[in-house]
Amino acid sequence: MIQLHNVSMSYQAEIPALTDVNLKIPKGDFVFLTGQSGAGKSTLLKLLYADLIPTRGQVLIDGVNLGRLKRSQIPLLRRSIGVVFQDYKLLPQRTVLENVAITLEVLGWGKRDIGKKVFHILKQMGLEDKLNSTPLRLSGGEQQRVALARALVNDPKILIADEPTGNLDEENKEQILSIFKEANIRGTTVLVATHDRRVIENSHRRVIHLEKGRVREVTDVQG
Amino acid sequence: MSRANKTVRPKFAREGFFGRLSYFSARALANLRQNVFVSIVTVGTISLALLIAALFLLVYVNLEGMALGWSDKVQVTAYFDREPSPLAVSALKGQVKALPGTAKVVFVSQADAEKRLRSRLKGQESLLEGITPEVLPASLEISLDRSHRESAQVASYVSALRRIQGITEVQYGEEWVQRFNSFMNLFRLMGALLGSFLALTVLFIVSNTIKLTIYARREELELLGLVGATRLFIKAPFLIEGVLQGALGAVLSLLALFACYYAFLENAGSFLGVNPAAAGLCFLPLPHLAAILGGGVLLGFIGSLTSLRRFVHL
Repeated sequence: MIQLHNVSMSYQAEIPALTDVNLKIPKGDFVFLTGQSGAGKSTLLKLLYADLIPTRGQVLIDGVNLGRLKRSQIPLLRRSIGVVFQDYKLLPQRTVLENVAITLEVLGWGKRDIGKKVFHILKQMGLEDKLNSTPLRLSGGEQQRVALARALVNDPKILIADEPTGNLDEENKEQILSIFKEANIRGTTVLVATHDRRVIENSHRRVIHLEKGRVREVTDVQG
Repeated sequence: MSRANKTVRPKFAREGFFGRLSYFSARALANLRQNVFVSIVTVGTISLALLIAALFLLVYVNLEGMALGWSDKVQVTAYFDREPSPLAVSALKGQVKALPGTAKVVFVSQADAEKRLRSRLKGQESLLEGITPEVLPASLEISLDRSHRESAQVASYVSALRRIQGITEVQYGEEWVQRFNSFMNLFRLMGALLGSFLALTVLFIVSNTIKLTIYARREELELLGLVGATRLFIKAPFLIEGVLQGALGAVLSLLALFACYYAFLENAGSFLGVNPAAAGLCFLPLPHLAAILGGGVLLGFIGSLTSLRRFVHL
């Protein structure tokens, strides 16, 4: 379970990115986080994988207060969270296989197991013929799927995606969303930040609307 | 079925120190291959910087060797009032040899002294009329170890020599020794100053080059942190890369230095009119070569470590 209690976050004094945010996201939930640019979506996501520490309030994941984690404990938290970044963050010098394998290498998996697991997930993403390509040779949709494969390859407890459909055409958007849904069916809690109304409307999931750093509305819709 | 049951537990690799080291080394080599241009620039910069330092060291070592060669002239002569008997000579020689710092002792009898004088004044024999061997004193000519040629050491040696019974007068080029030692002190001071300046320059160039290469890969560092890598996991391959680049740079600089040295030996005679063999030129001794290699490795390691501290925020 993800819980935020009275969370406020400021990058600079007197300019709050988040103000008094209270949220509960149960295990296995699928939630959209929406709002205009600058509403605080990315800041909220960064708090969940301890890339930022709130200036006030508490962020808890499965009862663990992230603000109280030691530096050495942060990697352990991040290993249970898959993150799809807005800019993908793929390493241009490494192949698709190597990019996805990073997540498993960090966990200490053996080469053979990594090969099998990465091939399996890339096949699920329809990228099995791109194993040895570098990201720069891929289309936007393919790069997004590689980033998604990297986030999902170790079956994380939580999947976080920041504007995952931003630069994609309709066909690719559908494909990405169906991957999120499949991960959610397998038990992963999914949290997607987007301002794409069509994606939200077609998904029929809970929506948290942020405005100027505050939660304005929580809409519960089950599809 | 729960997630734990669904996921096949993988066989963990890289357990233990050697397992990790082999993974990090493999990663470092792969990084070098994947960032080949940046790696070449880094290694090239390190080798050029170290080559300049090594050239300085080579010139310094040879100049110091030459200068120390001049100090062979530091000789102490102990005179006797009366020529000692052959038995007494060997006893005196033994006593002098027992003094710390003695390298060589030669006895010059009155007859030998006269012979020397005659040979030096060849063609001006008229000056030697009436001079008999008894006029010239017998002496012991003493050469000192290189480690005992400083002014203070020579002075204390001489005072010890004066205490030996039978020796009435001791002479040595006191002024020359003082001048030579002042020159050597100045030479070493200049060498240390220039060397330190050069070492700082090399440190600055190399650390900044490594910093730039790591800056170019800051996204990789950031990503590794975001997917749950520990600090050791992120830093270790970069540190190994730094060490490899430093070692390779040092080896290349030594090869280039040897090429320069060899080219100088080949061409010094024809272009500079210097006979390298006669000048006693030598290549850097093994400890200096090891120091340059170690310096390269250390530069690569410390350069990477300080840069990583700046870019790994975990």
